Amino acid sequence: MSEFTMGPMLLNLVLWLPIIGVGLVLLAARANDGLSRTISAAVMTVQFALTTVLYLQFDTTAAGLQYTTHLPWIAQWGVSYLIGLDGFNILLVLLTAFLGPIVVLGAWTSIKKDVPLFHVMVLLLQFAMMGAFVAQDLFLFYLFWEAMLIPMFLIIGMWGGARRVYATIKFVLYTAFGSILMLAAVIYLVHSMQQTSGVMSFAFADLYQTQLPLSVQTILLGAFALSFAIKVPMVPLHTWLPDAHVEAPTAGSVILAGVLLKMGTYGFMKLGFPLFPDAARAFTPLLMTLAVISIVYGACLALVQTDIKKIIAYSSISHLGYVMLGLLSLELVGIQGAIIQMVSHGLVAAGLFLLVGMIYDRCHTRDLAAYGGLARLLPVYSVFFMIFTLASVGLPTTSGFTGEFLALMGAFTAAWPAHLDGNNLPLVLASVAVTGVVLGAMYMLRFALTFLFGDVKAPHHSPEHPLLDLSLREKSILGLLTIAVFALGLFPDGALQKTELAAKTYQSLVTTSRTPADAVGVTP
Amino acid sequence: MNTQDALMAMLPEHLLLGGIVLVIIMEVLGRGSRSALWVALGAVIAASGAAFMLSNAQYAAAPFAGQFSVTPAILMAKGVLLALAVPVLLMSRTEFSDGEFSILLLSSLYGLCLLPSADSFLVMFLGLELLAMPVYALVLLAFRRPQSAESAFKYLVLGGAASATFLMGVSLLYGATGSMSVDAFGPALASGDVMTRTAVVLVLLALFLKAAVVPFHAWAPDTYEGASIPVTAYMATLTKGAVLLAAVRLFSGANATGPLVDLLLVLPLVSIVWGNLAAIKQQSFRRMIAYSSIAHAGYLFYAFLGNAEGRMQAVLFYVIAYSVVNLLAFAVMPQNTDDEQRDSLDALKGLYHRNPFAAVMIAVAMLSLAGLPPFPGFAAKFLIFKNVVAAGYTTYAVLGLVGSYLGIYFYLRVIQLLFMTAGEAAPTEQRAGGMARAAGVLCLVGTLVLAVLPGWVLGRI
Repeated sequence: MSEFTMGPMLLNLVLWLPIIGVGLVLLAARANDGLSRTISAAVMTVQFALTTVLYLQFDTTAAGLQYTTHLPWIAQWGVSYLIGLDGFNILLVLLTAFLGPIVVLGAWTSIKKDVPLFHVMVLLLQFAMMGAFVAQDLFLFYLFWEAMLIPMFLIIGMWGGARRVYATIKFVLYTAFGSILMLAAVIYLVHSMQQTSGVMSFAFADLYQTQLPLSVQTILLGAFALSFAIKVPMVPLHTWLPDAHVEAPTAGSVILAGVLLKMGTYGFMKLGFPLFPDAARAFTPLLMTLAVISIVYGACLALVQTDIKKIIAYSSISHLGYVMLGLLSLELVGIQGAIIQMVSHGLVAAGLFLLVGMIYDRCHTRDLAAYGGLARLLPVYSVFFMIFTLASVGLPTTSGFTGEFLALMGAFTAAWPAHLDGNNLPLVLASVAVTGVVLGAMYMLRFALTFLFGDVKAPHHSPEHPLLDLSLREKSILGLLTIAVFALGLFPDGALQKTELAAKTYQSLVTTSRTPADAVGVTP
Repeated sequence: MNTQDALMAMLPEHLLLGGIVLVIIMEVLGRGSRSALWVALGAVIAASGAAFMLSNAQYAAAPFAGQFSVTPAILMAKGVLLALAVPVLLMSRTEFSDGEFSILLLSSLYGLCLLPSADSFLVMFLGLELLAMPVYALVLLAFRRPQSAESAFKYLVLGGAASATFLMGVSLLYGATGSMSVDAFGPALASGDVMTRTAVVLVLLALFLKAAVVPFHAWAPDTYEGASIPVTAYMATLTKGAVLLAAVRLFSGANATGPLVDLLLVLPLVSIVWGNLAAIKQQSFRRMIAYSSIAHAGYLFYAFLGNAEGRMQAVLFYVIAYSVVNLLAFAVMPQNTDDEQRDSLDALKGLYHRNPFAAVMIAVAMLSLAGLPPFPGFAAKFLIFKNVVAAGYTTYAVLGLVGSYLGIYFYLRVIQLLFMTAGEAAPTEQRAGGMARAAGVLCLVGTLVLAVLPGWVLGRI
């Protein structure tokens, strides 16, 4: 297959386009708000188009990085501007680019004040998220990882709900705490590598070669895992999420659920486990337990919520538990299922938060008890609502099924040999995880039942001033998301092919022991 | 003594002296108020440029043997610090119109230039005094509020105590080693003799007091609050930087060993934690910056735990990154004839809607001081903690990082006030003056260069 020579340039353009967008929005800031919105939407659309080109040209037969750009940046520290696409991030980059225009279009009418600043923040956030996904240098990754905090801080704090300041400061302080410990771990890791190999480098490829004793690996994995587990979020580090989601504006919730939460799982997949394989394998039982607790506890919490945004927030905790389960299984089917589940959750949660935002724009309340019988009032809305509810539950033909099924299959495939050896914990955990699917159906269908069926009840609705059904703009963005959900559900092969080699790389990295005593060894 | 060397080596200092003389003459002739600032600016820019040029030409000399010497690295440090004085002068346009500010500032800068080049304790003492004494007067000069007198007096008394402690330490060191040379300090660090150890500790404590490290920090909040904005900006950035460079010169090639390590481990860490925590409660912007600068002095002294080779680079990079954003925040602060109102954090409420440029600049400054990427403060902290880990003090590096985390909240609170809180302009509030905004733009350019091209900057220093 001929090499796509425009690739590196396109990837750089995809990454830096939002910054160009920021410049354009700042120039247009004095003009009417509509111009900022249009520029932002145009930039995001172009970014998505270019990303699609990169996705279609992606070589599924090459195992390493593609479209790489490697420029020395801070040579004294071994830091370089190293970006590239591989099976780990290609789907997530596409997801981020896809959600970009959807977020901007979703916020078209609901953001009314300081519109240029809002779009500057959304574009900066898009830049930081893309950067974190495509960075292949640890310093660069950390830079982008932290850089996501401040635009989100402002988005929630300036355009959010009543308790927005509390929620946004909690979000930043919670996430920053994990990041600070991760920074200490990063410094120590690079220093260790320099001591043993004499070379100071932050490139992932080099760091994957480090040899560290198990005790050191454990501490460093703990620091990295803390930071990523806060982001995922995994129980018990999840308490920032409900507040952040509830108080954020719709666009903020969509970005948060759609992309930001994937950062944590991506971090585990790309950095946490491959960098410290022995510690990862040693702590798999603990992490798997926490993942399953996230699945079940998140679902149970979602079952009792009365705030419609909180239901979806807790469902996110539950769904991302499947991702962790799949990653920890170390089976190809589980790892690929985890990646698919990441993308699926991004699409489904984005859709659900958009739907909740649309009804909130009309009725100004998030209390579930205030709603009823919306299927009769808003038929088009209800159809989309039902589609995304079923996708969240994991109905076959939707992407939710593909992700959950493959992840659970991976968990069982890994648990069976352990069961035959006498270790029953993985099997028990996998079985408990399956109940999460049932609980998922329970809380989502309870939500849909109360919301859509029964007596008609909606604030600000009266026969003289009936609620308006979805506008063309709203229908288009939900329609696009629906197409994506079904595409991934019915034809996942394209996505699976692209991630296959990366999943194999992940598997080999995490199963290869890297303690100094035995340099090369494979553990079952 | 080679005349050529005496001229060239001290060229930056001579240019500053020329500036002082010129401003004095202009004051006497009655033309001081209009043009003093421009003369001072010219002198500082010339001195800074001279230092950069000499450094690039790899100039090194010791015109006064055993007292004063320069190397390219020292000249680069001087050039950088003098360049940072340019925004301070530009900011002062609105507060000070006479020549006294210029004369005092240039004198203080002269002392600043003496410190990194000092080869003997006498010259170092001279530098420290020349750095600090004009500032005692500068704190009082604008006299915007009655507390200024108290602030100046506190600084004077405690600065005097610092000088006395320094001299006592130097005398004991002379008694123990028989040498007034600064190079005697390095070997004295590892010495077991009680007199030498006392001497070393006294000198270090004197520097801690001058840099406002806990527990010698109590003068800083009052002094920063009582002084006017350009002077507070100068104290927070350049004075602190100069003291740190003096410390770097003192330690020169030596690694921290022996009993000194405990002092260097504990007091800066306590500074970091205490400075960050105490800033949370402050209602005055300048007091908040004072406590933040106490924390930053902690980070800077942490650099002394690292190995000697990277120390100057780490300290200088941190001083540049920290000073540039601090000056940025002070430069764009809106003016107000009522100094207390101007200083209050309430004045920042809703500033984004009144003055977006000022709000964004202050936000950038706060984020950089908090050490959040991608701002230069992050790279600077990273370098220091990297050096600390490389020297083997990993636990303390982790504690220091957690301490820096404690500081994030109050910086975020400022951003919250700027963007998320509604507020109205005080009746006497005005945009910052044109010169101050120019200073802000200069600092912004500096911030961007440091953020985007840290490798380039590190290569030069």
